[in-house]
Amino acid sequence: MKRNIVGVMTIALVSAFLFTACGSGDKGPAELAIKAAEEAFNASKGEAAKYIPDEVKSLEGTLAALKEKFAKGNYTEVIPEAKSFAEKAKGLLDAAKAKKEELTKTWTEFDQGVPKMVAAIQSRVDMLSKSKKLPANLTAEKFADAKSGLAAAKEEWAKALESFKAGNLADAVSAAKSVKDKAVAAMETLGMQVPAGAK
Amino acid sequence: MADDDAKDQYDATQYHEVVKGDTLWKIAEKYYGDGSLYKDIFEANKDILKDPNMIKIGQKLRIP
Repeated sequence: MKRNIVGVMTIALVSAFLFTACGSGDKGPAELAIKAAEEAFNASKGEAAKYIPDEVKSLEGTLAALKEKFAKGNYTEVIPEAKSFAEKAKGLLDAAKAKKEELTKTWTEFDQGVPKMVAAIQSRVDMLSKSKKLPANLTAEKFADAKSGLAAAKEEWAKALESFKAGNLADAVSAAKSVKDKAVAAMETLGMQVPAGAK
Repeated sequence: MADDDAKDQYDATQYHEVVKGDTLWKIAEKYYGDGSLYKDIFEANKDILKDPNMIKIGQKLRIP
């Protein structure tokens, strides 16, 4: 009986030693894998953050979790996860490039179209301001709303242009979309035809 | 080509197609509430109108 207990204890000790030894043996490769993953991420996150900030933020969280696992000694888990992370980090630039192309296309559309809408609204507002009375389907209150919508649209368009000039394409597109929506609302209020591309 | 499409898609020029019984005065009343502003419509369409009293059915007039 006593011999059996000693045997079981020995097996347990050896197993524990082997487990620890194997885990420790993975520490170096795990460290290298994390380093490679972090380098891949650092190489692309700056550019990627301009176009796909949410993805970058998500990967930041994943990297932090990986480091935490490493600190806790879960080296065997860390190695494959770090390799997978590095692949994702390498793909960030391609994803950012695709997003940049999409934003550039959208910006070009807005840049060509939105000023025309704003100019058309301004022209109509100028005409209505000269009018002795408003058309049947337009109340003074609605006309006032359209005028304030136009003013807000012009102000926001200036901001969109500033963002574009500063290289903040995502902000520029977001502001331009908001201007387009305001312009559509003003055109509808004034009973104007809304361009097909803006609907 | 894509740029041209975008330009057309966002063309915000406002038009009125002349129908039977239309006059510039009536068109100005419809869009501005004030017939006396017909002159502005005439000015905006001088390339196709010679006389403000002579508009034709089917003509597409720009409405400023």
